[in-house]
Amino acid sequence: MNALAPTDGLGPWRQFLCRACGLIYDEGQGDPDSGLPPGTRFADIPEDWACPICGVTKADFEPYERRAKSAPMPVSPAPQRRPGVVIVGGGVSGWSVAEAIRAGDASLPITLVTACDGGRYHKPELSVALGRGLSPEALRRETGAAAAARLGLRLLADTVAVGLSPERHALRTTRGTLPYTHLVLAHGARPALPAGLDPALCWRVNDLAAWSGLHSELARGARTVAVIGAGMVGCELAEDLARAGHTATLVGAEALPLPELLPEQAGRRLLAGLEGLGIRYRGNSLVSGLSRQPDGTVALTLADGTRFAAATVIAATGLATPSRLVRSAGLAFDRGIVVDPATLRTSGPDIFALGDCISLGGQPCRFIEPVARQAATIAGAILGRDHLGYAHAVPVVRLKTRSSPIALHGTPVAGAPWHVVEDSAQRLAMEQRQNGQVTAWLAA
Amino acid sequence: MPSALALRPAEDRIAAAPDRPDWTDAAVRAATEAIADGPLSAAAAEIDRGAYPLDILGRLGSAGALGVHLDRHGARIGLSIAAMQAASRACGATGFLMWCHDVCGLYLEQSDNPALSGAVLDAHAAGRTFGGTALSNPMKAFAGIEPILLRACRVPGGYRVSGMLPWVSHIGPGQYCGAIAGVVGAGDTISHEIMFLLACDQAELRPCPHFSGMEGTSTWGVRVDDLFVGHDAIIADPARPFISRIRGAFILLQCGMGLGVTEGSLDAMLAVEESLGHVNQFLEDRPDTVAAELAELRARVMRLAETPYDGSTDYLIDVLDARAQTSELALRASQSALLHQGARGYLMSAAPQRRIREAHFVAIVTPAIKHLRWEMARLSRETLPQSEGGRA
Repeated sequence: MNALAPTDGLGPWRQFLCRACGLIYDEGQGDPDSGLPPGTRFADIPEDWACPICGVTKADFEPYERRAKSAPMPVSPAPQRRPGVVIVGGGVSGWSVAEAIRAGDASLPITLVTACDGGRYHKPELSVALGRGLSPEALRRETGAAAAARLGLRLLADTVAVGLSPERHALRTTRGTLPYTHLVLAHGARPALPAGLDPALCWRVNDLAAWSGLHSELARGARTVAVIGAGMVGCELAEDLARAGHTATLVGAEALPLPELLPEQAGRRLLAGLEGLGIRYRGNSLVSGLSRQPDGTVALTLADGTRFAAATVIAATGLATPSRLVRSAGLAFDRGIVVDPATLRTSGPDIFALGDCISLGGQPCRFIEPVARQAATIAGAILGRDHLGYAHAVPVVRLKTRSSPIALHGTPVAGAPWHVVEDSAQRLAMEQRQNGQVTAWLAA
Repeated sequence: MPSALALRPAEDRIAAAPDRPDWTDAAVRAATEAIADGPLSAAAAEIDRGAYPLDILGRLGSAGALGVHLDRHGARIGLSIAAMQAASRACGATGFLMWCHDVCGLYLEQSDNPALSGAVLDAHAAGRTFGGTALSNPMKAFAGIEPILLRACRVPGGYRVSGMLPWVSHIGPGQYCGAIAGVVGAGDTISHEIMFLLACDQAELRPCPHFSGMEGTSTWGVRVDDLFVGHDAIIADPARPFISRIRGAFILLQCGMGLGVTEGSLDAMLAVEESLGHVNQFLEDRPDTVAAELAELRARVMRLAETPYDGSTDYLIDVLDARAQTSELALRASQSALLHQGARGYLMSAAPQRRIREAHFVAIVTPAIKHLRWEMARLSRETLPQSEGGRA
């Protein structure tokens, strides 16, 4: 995207960083999807504008200065003498903890262990990046090595955490055993694939590496793509594929998409929006198997025996937190690593966890908005600083389907009745009530 | 084929060995410890220099220490590991020979080939005949680390096998080992692999160069040239499903060696505690530290030994992790033992310098630490489509 040069006499275009999710608002590019044309100064953005990725408001943005792309600063690659903090996970959660610790302590040794290359990117962008014509290079904000040098930490990239001895404060990895004073688990969740789906025949988009593989397959021209699973990620990907010029079929288990989250009226609006983009929705369908056809396409067999083919198949069938590492170490696990909701301490001594891998009261919470606050809480505890603690609030759920954007507030209860507040051609507003109090509301 | 026996609670196991009622857990443990503390301790230095202790292995076999891991004797993998640990506490080379022998027995039993799982296995399990394993190369080949060295061609009634394996232990004239060859099909590609029992008398055994220790393991280069392998000698065809079924037990059993070398090193540290404790207190990896880690690791190994045929990836990673940790701990403990003993441990007749070489062996024998980490990394990766695969 080429931005026009500023003519308003206010100097070069500036950029603003969303503190919650890391999205960068560039004045030169604006946010056309939200009605902000290129060249909209940040000061001129209406106060009710929301981050297009995570939905926080304008007040949560701060000026962003792009870091000069310089050679990495020399950082000692030698093993550190003092054990220090070990962080497992190179996604936004892991890096957020590293940033939060460094903000309070310049010298505490930090080692970040990650199974990927450690490159920093903004994960929510993965479900809107095809339609925006972004490349893997454009999505990667900073290489792992550059981030490690900037933060003065030791990065063990392409390294898997395989074993944990809580009493001895030792983490075993595929590059050796690391002693630690504090351990932070931020390894996220992994796509949960139903048994009938061959992992070699369907993509899952949960990290930049997987997205990059999908991107290179799709880059060779418009294709037929089947998206299995009509949850948030499935709906967003289907729309993104359609916007990128592909022929998308969305396969959902129920009559309408997002049935566990949305009442029927909202589901209909969502479906109408998706169909308006040319997406075919196959409802009430469960995929029981995938097979490679002689022509190179993949055949999807549905539970009722019908079959259809697609050149590319994506499974968006949910996430599950890997449990082997923590279970074999004897830590409490209940659909995620069990943490104290105020301190984010696990049941193991000096072990914290945050982000997609945790569960609070038996519920995983896989949204990006709470991560920065979770990281600050953990950093405060590790550094022995007073900290108010983490107060969990259910984040606003925003469906990044521009065809019919939906925002969901509060704590919706599946199966409980929804009441229509407004149902016009322009807007649908509904709410759930309990004992006369509004407990959840949505706008579509 | 999951082994039902392996999932049975411990108290039922003794009844599972009706033909050897004398091989109770307590009896096997006591007899092994008596052999380890007596003749094996006395012979350890000599074995390290080259004496092949077949007599001691025979005694261990008749005591049950080489057979109790088999389904027919209760699938007591944990007891087998404990026996191997007891022997390795005295002599790492003998612990390694026990492992070679144990897994060969596993191949024979799990083959379901009546020609191998009857009298041949009975003699083997009781230590009346001896044989080892030549799976270092194929295990690495299956993990994508190196190419397979033995090649087989299909012929009427079986296969003909040729090739050379650089070093195979616990073999000799009249002995045997489990081996794997890649079957060469059309276009000189390998269609699949076969596993078979290789009789040493049909192969050429070539002396190996000198190793820095553990010379009494009867280790040879094995060369076969157009060797006929008939159905009676086939352990598995194809070999890969068989190997993936026994791989957990194969690797887990090795932990007995590292645990024993660590325990022997601990003995050496404690032996000088009274006289040298006032200066040894300044060393890392003190006896209490090593003992605590050994206890934790051993408990984990014993838990894993309850379900040796659990086919899940998570279980296999747990086994690989425990095996890697036994290597790391044996290295640290043996190093510390020598530092604890000082010059007296550096004497060529002293146990600690031998322990260091044994620990190095534990860490480099297949699967070596680096292989274990490679495999754990591989098993942890998500399978994704190849983006070149489809068409627009």
